[in-house]
Amino acid sequence: MKSNNLVKIVSTVVGIVIAMFFVVLVVADPSQDIVAQSPLLGQPAPAVASETIDGAQFVLERRKGSWVVLNFFNSTCVPCINEHDLLVDFADTEAANPNGAEIYTIINDDSSDAVRGFFNKNGGDWQKVKDDNGAIAVAFGVARVPETWIIDPNGLVRLRITGELSPGLLSEQVNKLRDGFTS
Amino acid sequence: MFASAGISGTVGRAFLLVGFIGAVFGAFAAFTGARRNDPQIIRLIPRFSTLSFAAAVGAFAAMEYAMITRDFSLAYVQKVGSWSTPALYNFAAVWSALEGSILMWVLVLAGYTAAVSFWVRKRMQDLIASWALGVMFVVSAFFFLVSFFPANPFAAGAPGVLDGPGPNPLLQNHILVMFHPPILYLGYVGVTVPFAFAIAALITGRVGEGWLVATRRWSLFAWGFLTFGIALGSWWSYEVLGWSGVWAWDPVENASLLPWITGTAYIHSVLVQERRGMLRVWNISLLVATFSLTILGTFLTRSGVLNSVHAFSESSIGSWFLALFAVILVVSIGLIGWRGDKLRSPGVIDSPLSREAAFLANNVLFAVFAFVVLLGTVFPLIIEALQNRQIAVGAPFFDKLSMPIGLALLTLMAIAPVLPWRKASTETLRQRLFWPAWCGVAALVASLLLGAYGLAPLLTFTLGGISAGAAMRQVVLATRRQGWRGLVGRANGGMIVHLGVILIAVALGASNSFSKSQELSLVANVEASFSGHTFELKDVVEVRDDRSISVKALVLVDGKKIYAPAITKYTRIGMNVGTPSVRTSLTTDIYLTLEPPVRQDANEARIKVFIKPMIIWLWIGTALMAVGTVLAAFPGRRRKPTDATSAPIEVAAP
Amino acid sequence: MKTRRSVWLAMFLLVAVLLVFGSTRTGSPQTQQDRIDSLTSVLACPTCSGESVFVSRAVAAESIRAEVARQVSAGLRTDEQILSYIEQRFGGEVLLVPRATGVDALVWALPVAALVFSIFLLYSAFTKWRGNKPESPTSDDEQIVARALKTNTDEQ
Repeated sequence: MKSNNLVKIVSTVVGIVIAMFFVVLVVADPSQDIVAQSPLLGQPAPAVASETIDGAQFVLERRKGSWVVLNFFNSTCVPCINEHDLLVDFADTEAANPNGAEIYTIINDDSSDAVRGFFNKNGGDWQKVKDDNGAIAVAFGVARVPETWIIDPNGLVRLRITGELSPGLLSEQVNKLRDGFTS
Repeated sequence: MFASAGISGTVGRAFLLVGFIGAVFGAFAAFTGARRNDPQIIRLIPRFSTLSFAAAVGAFAAMEYAMITRDFSLAYVQKVGSWSTPALYNFAAVWSALEGSILMWVLVLAGYTAAVSFWVRKRMQDLIASWALGVMFVVSAFFFLVSFFPANPFAAGAPGVLDGPGPNPLLQNHILVMFHPPILYLGYVGVTVPFAFAIAALITGRVGEGWLVATRRWSLFAWGFLTFGIALGSWWSYEVLGWSGVWAWDPVENASLLPWITGTAYIHSVLVQERRGMLRVWNISLLVATFSLTILGTFLTRSGVLNSVHAFSESSIGSWFLALFAVILVVSIGLIGWRGDKLRSPGVIDSPLSREAAFLANNVLFAVFAFVVLLGTVFPLIIEALQNRQIAVGAPFFDKLSMPIGLALLTLMAIAPVLPWRKASTETLRQRLFWPAWCGVAALVASLLLGAYGLAPLLTFTLGGISAGAAMRQVVLATRRQGWRGLVGRANGGMIVHLGVILIAVALGASNSFSKSQELSLVANVEASFSGHTFELKDVVEVRDDRSISVKALVLVDGKKIYAPAITKYTRIGMNVGTPSVRTSLTTDIYLTLEPPVRQDANEARIKVFIKPMIIWLWIGTALMAVGTVLAAFPGRRRKPTDATSAPIEVAAP
Repeated sequence: MKTRRSVWLAMFLLVAVLLVFGSTRTGSPQTQQDRIDSLTSVLACPTCSGESVFVSRAVAAESIRAEVARQVSAGLRTDEQILSYIEQRFGGEVLLVPRATGVDALVWALPVAALVFSIFLLYSAFTKWRGNKPESPTSDDEQIVARALKTNTDEQ
């Protein structure tokens, strides 16, 4: 009798475990949010000092006082190419705004020549910052390009968008942050 | 907008439909025939299995035709085809992404169904065969359906595409892609056969040992190919991926390891059932676990819930596999519960110190091992479900937990082969383990003399020595008694497999613990040295073809021979692939990789050097395992009915 | 037999001494490269879940490897600090070894629980078997043996 009970207990436990396991598998969600998590959100942006492909100095800290958008980019990545027109539109709109955001491209694993060629062909006259060995990407915790980050005038990281931008997404997010911003 | 799928697309899809219909009719014929015990219907079964197999071959050939003719009307060819892919890799491109690999699954499964129905053709009246074929037809029908709907390889692509990127660069730079997936699939899909017979045994209620003995070779065949496929995967990882390791514990690797673990447990514990008629529920459960783990693994890796290097895509295919997984579990557990009374085993295990008790301990260890691997693989999903938080579980976790399990298994391998069935006295054990134990001492002393240190590797070497001694003892006694026949059969072939496993364990222990690595910045014609070897950069050259640009560093090693680690940029995909260059010897491999960034104009290169001991013994061990598996499949010496079941295997031992 | 037993004893002693000797001696001191390799082995490549930065050749992994190498050669941070630098940027999912606290500890505890549970099952099975072991061969058993013996002699 005792062993019968044991069999029952064991099979019940195994059954419950399998059922719970199944629930976990059913709720497992393959999709990922476009507005992504990052431990840096709300924190001061990492110190970044590098130079642009044109040889100018770029120090992120000196951009304090204005909104900054960083776009991590590689000229061969398909979503980067796809979202480029949206970035150009965004830059044009922001340039017309006195409180407009500055946009910078952070080059990810790509040569300066390739990036220059890409921008000559597809437009976009903002600065392209070199990131040798991916130090900037690591400082921000960039996983896969394209990623787009928004930094407020106080130098705090406010938003991280992973993957290809959808039309209007960037403007919408920047406007929302700007409206709610008090320095 | 409808794009047309071209002629091969239409033909291929038609084949899939025919195959599906064949499998459905086959299942219908098998189940009806078996239930009514109607020979007229049962006789039809082989026709349907031939039909589905022919259809699967047709569909696969249509896909190959489309790939070879670069029929870019198909979305799949657009995805993995390219004019610039060399013919061989283009042929293998068919199974380089999700849809094609499901198609290969269909082909292999239909092949197994046809082979099984050919194998049982003279015994068709045995209802267990009909039921088993029915189960196989159902699974085949499922896969035909998956290939027809959610993973349709013949779907029309966007119009106007004239060329594609080609397969993933990792899948077009080593000849192993031709062999590793098909061989792995022969094993992975092959476990369907013993599973189907287990289900059939439950349905017919003939849960005795007959079906086990009948499917022994099928299980061994599937297990052998699974083992070989996994080993080829490790070799590929070592030769291609450029991190100098053979096993990364990524989810796809784990998905192939899980059924291997439960399958290995099964081929051990089945011996207890054959010999003693015990562990019936357990053995059937192991087969169910093995088969359902292949389906679960496919779900985990192909649905996009876990990502890994191999994980192909995100598609609706996940819910199909999850549904199949649920059906398998519910049906199998239901059947086991229903037949519970018949599954009661008559025997008892007399002593914890006996062959059968050792097999039980082996099974406990393998079950825990499988649990660890499964838990580690799905744990991020559990945490996500519970707390909506991302975590990762990786190699350090698996290494840490599999090490004690591996050592415990080695200990069993040392003792179990000398244990008699039923009961052993410590005196027998002392006597039989005497020489094996000295082998262990010798291994320990030798490894210490060679400079080894650390408890875990030293234990591995010692236990490896004892196990090797125990395995050799069995083989020597058997050959002394029976000549060449002492090498064949389960027990003897199994010992050869053990020797292979021991070699692998020792080689893993040595290479994991005593590897050295160093990154060297080499300047042309200046010698650098590391760990007693010299490295001199002779040149950095660039090789271009129409799919890639490769930069090779020509490095003179020890002033003797030039090795050329490379980084290849596949221009169409924009992906860099490193190609290591390895100097292999019986004792140590020198493994060179070129580190980015590379410039072919500069007279310098960053090279990473790994000095890894004993790597080649992994492949020798694998070969020995393969040989042993083949030997084990040969019929061994039949036990005389007069031998008491308690008689030790080596009855004539001096 | 007495001598055998003492030989065994000697062997055990020898093995124990050798193991203690072997596990206390150490290899060559840890190099910077060893440090880089062991640190990158416990960091997950962010774009390829399951693989470590050490294993992966993905761009993100190359960048992290370079960052770790930079910090190791600068020599200013301890291993723990380097790992937490990376964790602060990439989040907890970048650590391949789950923590031993909170729910995450389950991944360590459950295997041990499984082992204990299955040993308990084995133990109770053996006690059960010991309880109803037949004392001697039944008459059925004897008949089977007799029949088998007979067929065997017939064959010869």
